[in-house]
Amino acid sequence: MATVTIAPRPVPGFKEFLKTILLAELWVGLWVTLKNQFRPHITVEYPKETVELSPRFRGVPRLRFNPESGEELCIACHLCEIVCPDDCIHIVSEKKPDGKGKRLVSFEINYERCCFCGLCVDPCPTKPLTAIYMSHDYEMADFKREGFVAPLKTLLDGIEPTIYKE
Amino acid sequence: MFHTEEMDINMGPQHPSTHGVLRLRLTLDGETISDMRPIIGYLHRGVEKLCEHRTFPMIEPLTDRLDYVAAISENLGYCGAVEKAMGIVVPPRAQYIRVILAELQRIASHLLWLGTHALDLGAMSVFFYTFREREMILDLFEAFCGARLTYNSMRIGGLLEDVPAGWLDRVRHFISIFPGREKEYEDLLTVNRIFVGRTRGVGILTPQDAVALGVSGPTLRATGVDYDVRRAQPYCSYEQFQFDVPLGRNGDTYDRYLVRMEEMRQCCRIIQQALDRLPDGEVRAKVAKYIKPPAGEVYHVVESPRGEQGFYIVTSGGEMPYRMRFRSPSFVNLQALPSMCKGQLVAYVVAVIGSIDIVLGDVDR
Amino acid sequence: MDRQMIQTIVIPAIQVLLVVMVLPLGIAYLQLVERKVLGFMQVRLAPRRVGWHGLLQPIADAVKLLIKEDVVPDKADRFLFTLAPIVTVIPALAGLAVIPIAGAPFTLFGYEVKPFITDLNVAVLYLLAISSLGIYGIILGGWASNSKYSLLGALRSSAQLISYEVPLGFAIIGVLMLSGSASMVDIVNSQKTARVWYILPQILGFFCYFISAVAETNRVPFDLPEAEAELVAGFHTEYSGMKFAFFFLAEYTNMIVVSSIATILFFGGWLRPFPNAAWSAWLENGWLFFVPLVALGFIGWLVDQKTGQGLKGMFAGLFLGGILGFLLARVDVAGLAALQAPVLSGAFWFFLKVSVFLFVYIWFRGTYPRYRYDQLMALGWKWLIPLSVLNVLGTGLVVVLFG
Repeated sequence: MATVTIAPRPVPGFKEFLKTILLAELWVGLWVTLKNQFRPHITVEYPKETVELSPRFRGVPRLRFNPESGEELCIACHLCEIVCPDDCIHIVSEKKPDGKGKRLVSFEINYERCCFCGLCVDPCPTKPLTAIYMSHDYEMADFKREGFVAPLKTLLDGIEPTIYKE
Repeated sequence: MFHTEEMDINMGPQHPSTHGVLRLRLTLDGETISDMRPIIGYLHRGVEKLCEHRTFPMIEPLTDRLDYVAAISENLGYCGAVEKAMGIVVPPRAQYIRVILAELQRIASHLLWLGTHALDLGAMSVFFYTFREREMILDLFEAFCGARLTYNSMRIGGLLEDVPAGWLDRVRHFISIFPGREKEYEDLLTVNRIFVGRTRGVGILTPQDAVALGVSGPTLRATGVDYDVRRAQPYCSYEQFQFDVPLGRNGDTYDRYLVRMEEMRQCCRIIQQALDRLPDGEVRAKVAKYIKPPAGEVYHVVESPRGEQGFYIVTSGGEMPYRMRFRSPSFVNLQALPSMCKGQLVAYVVAVIGSIDIVLGDVDR
Repeated sequence: MDRQMIQTIVIPAIQVLLVVMVLPLGIAYLQLVERKVLGFMQVRLAPRRVGWHGLLQPIADAVKLLIKEDVVPDKADRFLFTLAPIVTVIPALAGLAVIPIAGAPFTLFGYEVKPFITDLNVAVLYLLAISSLGIYGIILGGWASNSKYSLLGALRSSAQLISYEVPLGFAIIGVLMLSGSASMVDIVNSQKTARVWYILPQILGFFCYFISAVAETNRVPFDLPEAEAELVAGFHTEYSGMKFAFFFLAEYTNMIVVSSIATILFFGGWLRPFPNAAWSAWLENGWLFFVPLVALGFIGWLVDQKTGQGLKGMFAGLFLGGILGFLLARVDVAGLAALQAPVLSGAFWFFLKVSVFLFVYIWFRGTYPRYRYDQLMALGWKWLIPLSVLNVLGTGLVVVLFG
């Protein structure tokens, strides 16, 4: 735990003088930019190529089926609706005909309001796979506001991707 | 026969070098600034009021959007405040990971500052180099919490998940290459006579003024006042780390630059220590399902990359805070801008605004 | 039309037309090169969408500028607003009239063609005079657009140009003293007789000249008129479409002109390195060797950039180019002997030197921060002018004592 005082004072002397005269630091700067010409580029040509997303990437929230049985995972517990800070989830559920539990009538996420915080995934009670999850979809531009209110079908199948023409 | 008059010039809110929607009203006497008034509020979103209608876990995404350049520091401060109110002890592993995240965030934030500051002064390439390195940090954050800017990375009581496999090695790799890259920025700027000429002796802030105005962070330390929250009031196990607090001498733009450059090096030091001593164990303390801090009030400060970031929460025993107040360093540091600029040439303003490193989301809230 | 008339009027007219037609295209591509080089220095990809590696980008840009709406601000002085870009671009183009790209005239269809438009005996003076005229365009443009930013930018720009013309002129005087002539062709020829490029005896003069030249062309680190962080875009803030393109054309033409002057005055123009030294005579025809070397090296650097293997690509290109060049130069393919004309050799060396200068301009832009206005003035008046005067005195002394 020490405190360092930065004293930016070049020591006056012949060497410093020579450096100033010969523009030493300007040459060093030029060398840095020259060197960087041969470093790999960092930009990607976006629609043609995309960056690799990490497994935890939080794109738009979506619902999923049970991958084995193909049934709906969501048990309509409304927890994600409650915890959502932006009120973007809207769930309508009804009692199951056999009286045990509830089932979904409609499940809507308004992507215009969603802030991609991922809080809806935390309380989801289905194990081991959560019914709602943060997908890797992020291309969701649309021309109409209605296009951002995703119904159950969109949530399960994903947003219809827009193909960019070459 | 002749008379001179002062001229009012409006700078901003849409101006490339005010870094957002800051508006400055400059009163000029020729080229000299005789008065300056920062006009803020263009990015006001009423976050403090919004917080009163959110439960405690729901507030964390809001804190992301205050200082969006250093969201993890905000997350850390907010979670720390709620944990303080509830008396939760965060597991050591979570604390260390939080330190790693916060210090990476400090580097990322300083890199963004450095790039834009250099860009304001005309050095274009530095911007791309700093963003290249910042991108590496953002990739690390994306791997950890899934987002690149508004992280929502922590949870009250610790972290949501432990770090993914191989993440710590990536951090190690980053801090092993970063000093070399920082050397390159220094080659381009620190010694460059044009850069030194444009920053040294410009926008001087005296220690007395700085303390009186409540300035904090690197802007304060550049004046020579030794105050760093990480050491003055250690939080999140910062007392267990060895690091230097760099201080400036003249309080000018060049010193603020040097202090931040040195801070990035110290960040690497802290991260290295945290990686070496990272304990095993849980990353989240046992927390009740519904977070209801007892009635009362709590104030918690963290050292964000911009300075002292405070969170003041008045609780009424319910699920939502009764009142929430953020002490944002950008807002307070911005107050020092007129005293830095008065009596100087108008051409200095760009360099000075860049050097105090404000984020308008943090100023206006 | 008799032969004499064609010789004196038609051929120079064709040459002028050639310069005016080809130069804008060349400048469009110079701009592409600038964007490419800057992009690579800044570890990004630069234009790649239009054409192979963005090779058609300049055409797209030109078309865009041509069909763009030509906005004239409401309260602008329409006449002067239109006049300003023209006043800027004409002197810039006129400067090229006295730039020789090679020494000896050559014969084409039985007519003698000189590799320059004219050889004035006061070429250097002419250049200084004509480059000063460009300032009018800048002041007019800034004033006529009726905008604070433009006006301030124009004032700064004109003050800067006027200040830096003084050291520019002084820096050239040293060369004039050594060569004893103000004609471009004679200056180069005198370097041939002196067996050395004038950069060596005139290193201080070159230093002053080069810095002043960067300032004269408003390039980084002296690009104050266009300091986008402070003044939006300086004197051409309000310009758009073709008028903007004219300013743009003028800036880049000026760059080419000052680089050409530097090449001619200090780097021996079209002469090979070590002019007149017998052992370097192979360089005269060896340009056949160098053209593929340089070209393939450049292409290799360009192609492999995407994978981050630019250095490897460049070396591969240099290697292949070297082999190709060796074959071209050594194996006497039919017809190649005719290509070994002095004019081609001269043009090669001249353009190579000018491109190096242009690259340095771009390199500066990628590296340095910008001077502040007062610092710029201080540098010009307190350093460059005394230094260049000192250079003139020193050169004079040496010429008198030993010349």
